[in-house]
Amino acid sequence: MNEEELKAISVDKSVDARGTACPGPLLAAKKAIAEISSGQIMEILSADEGTRKDIPKWAAKKGHEYLGTVEDSGYFKIYMKKG
Amino acid sequence: MCLALFSGSLDKLTAAGVILSGAAADDMEVDIYVLLQAARAFKKEIATNRDELKLAENTHLRKEFIESLDKLNVKQWHEFFKEAKELTNVKIHICGLAGKIWGGEKLEDFIDLADDIVGIGEYITAAEEADIHLFI
Repeated sequence: MNEEELKAISVDKSVDARGTACPGPLLAAKKAIAEISSGQIMEILSADEGTRKDIPKWAAKKGHEYLGTVEDSGYFKIYMKKG
Repeated sequence: MCLALFSGSLDKLTAAGVILSGAAADDMEVDIYVLLQAARAFKKEIATNRDELKLAENTHLRKEFIESLDKLNVKQWHEFFKEAKELTNVKIHICGLAGKIWGGEKLEDFIDLADDIVGIGEYITAAEEADIHLFI
């Protein structure tokens, strides 16, 4: 999905992991995705650069669909659809 | 994953905790064998007392290291282990000999995260069967 589509997307779950360094955001994502249903959308807010690559790879491995990442000021939002 | 945890240093225990978190995110089964120096760190009176644990490297930077961990909101090393145990199947085995060396004869001498006290044969079998094997 492109940035405009991602910005317009309605999320079912938003996880703010900006207060933690690696591996905090990854574990926050793992815990939170258990709370939504297949097909629902989750966004993870993170200011940790490593997480930016980690979460898409983790999502693919776990059968979720990585939708894209949007940059904001000093952090980014990573979007995925639960598989 | 099979992790032979030898080090009882704050930096290596923290690294082990971070690696363990990655394994937990992936739902891996993990067997941790707590060997010599690490067995001391797993003792009840030591585990939660950072003053008892040194750094493995750059020992002169211990104060700066701890300040950075706190500033970055990084968990205490044993909290990584606790969280990983909550998320995936992590078993923590204390080496019987190591325990004895540090005055820990029984499971109750170690933090609650420890599952059992074992001999080296179990570690070798686990290492043989694991896809990933680390020595820290």
